[in-house]
Amino acid sequence: MLSKLFEAIYHKVLVNIVVERARTIVYVEVCSKKNVVSRIEEEFNTTKLDSAMYDFIHSFMKESPYYYISILDTSASQGAIPTCSKHKLQEYADLTTAEYKCHNNEWAYYTSKNDMITMQKEYDTIGLDYIFSPFSILAHFFNDKINNNLAMYVLVQDSFLSVAVFEKSELLYAHHLDMMTKDDLDDMSLNEDLENSDVLLNEDVSIELDDIEVANEFEDFANIEDLDAIEEIDEFSENKDIEEELLESEETLAPANDTEFNEDYQRFSLIQASVGQFYKNDMYESRFIENVYVADCVGVTSDFKKYLEEEMFFNVYVRHAEIAPEVCELAKMELGI
Amino acid sequence: MKYSYITPHKKTPFTQEVQLLISFFSITIIMLFSTYLFLLYKDYNFQKDKNQLLNTQVKLKENIAAMQTKIEYINKQEALGEKVQTQNTVLKDSISNLFDLVPQRITLSQAKLLKNGLILYGITPNKDIYNFMLQAPLRSIFQETYSSFYPAQNGWLNFVSTNYMHDDMNDEVTNNED
Repeated sequence: MLSKLFEAIYHKVLVNIVVERARTIVYVEVCSKKNVVSRIEEEFNTTKLDSAMYDFIHSFMKESPYYYISILDTSASQGAIPTCSKHKLQEYADLTTAEYKCHNNEWAYYTSKNDMITMQKEYDTIGLDYIFSPFSILAHFFNDKINNNLAMYVLVQDSFLSVAVFEKSELLYAHHLDMMTKDDLDDMSLNEDLENSDVLLNEDVSIELDDIEVANEFEDFANIEDLDAIEEIDEFSENKDIEEELLESEETLAPANDTEFNEDYQRFSLIQASVGQFYKNDMYESRFIENVYVADCVGVTSDFKKYLEEEMFFNVYVRHAEIAPEVCELAKMELGI
Repeated sequence: MKYSYITPHKKTPFTQEVQLLISFFSITIIMLFSTYLFLLYKDYNFQKDKNQLLNTQVKLKENIAAMQTKIEYINKQEALGEKVQTQNTVLKDSISNLFDLVPQRITLSQAKLLKNGLILYGITPNKDIYNFMLQAPLRSIFQETYSSFYPAQNGWLNFVSTNYMHDDMNDEVTNNED
């Protein structure tokens, strides 16, 4: 009773930390019981908690005893699993040294215990209250879409990609990809090589497709520019998200440039490899992906969208996302604000 | 904890500084309250002592009044005792004088001492001896003296001498004796 009274008196300070490749974003929201009092975002050119970052965060910690430090999990050994059943979890990943959490009792996301402990030790001076998975962010950000038909969702961060395939809230596939290490791409390529198969969709892959005839027609589409001339393309357009397209038309992607070309291509390659793994691996319940929703936290170029659309024949919808405020939203949901 | 891998730290507005401040104020308030209680107790004790002293004072006053009454009574008793002693001395002297008045030849058989008189019974060989040796001194003392005789078996005379003194004379005698 007394604690609730104090909670009502004091503001809640939500400090959200997002560690990127070479910098750290600290986003702070000061919330009253009903609305947001102030929003502050600061960037630090470090990936560690240095004195400047500590002073910045500590200045907000002093404002209210009800401060909550959230961080986005950057562990390379994290992922999501299409089940929440304890018996089936081990089929998808080795969780002996991992911490996992169920999302609405439908699917689970996990991370390395060691990485989590390391992260907590690193931020020991300020004390972490919440560690969020990028998959939680992804599910929350596309909350309006994952309840609908099958689609792939990608959270594009500075150095990570979180790829998930949802069909009516049910997770079919998920993969967390680290752009800094080439291992992810190499591993997937290696697996594919071993199976002596090709990832590209213009090959006849042995997948369960509702409309297998449409998939087979890809073989004829050697040149993507010829697609407009084919009448059967209308079958794809039925599944297009017109509403999202209208929304997207208001946003403009950054024009292509040389420096970001490599990164976007790398992202495309990782997504392409992930899609291949989703189709090829028997562990996952394969479905034919038509739509791809991208939560863009870095400002991908138009090339990235073009690759996905032209090379993989996806309907790509890019939504700009601010990752730190999204982390803050999850923290708010945790606190019930 | 719906989305986070870890549970948040427990948040409380009672930080170390606030705890120190609260401790300081608590100690101060406790000390003030203790002092107030102590003063209340002392005041109560003082009032109690005051009432006891007032009661004692009232009792002592009552005792003093009772003792004054007793002293007055004792003084009166003393005065009365002295008076009785004086009267006894006077009586003793009177009796002694009386017996000194009686000559050897007259024998008294009974004497009655009255408040203002004296009645003597006795035996005398004859009237003359009585008249000269006893009645004469009695007359000098008492204003009224009456004598009566009747013969005894051995030839002597029994006599009854009744002597009275007037009241004013009696008081004078008494005053002189005092």
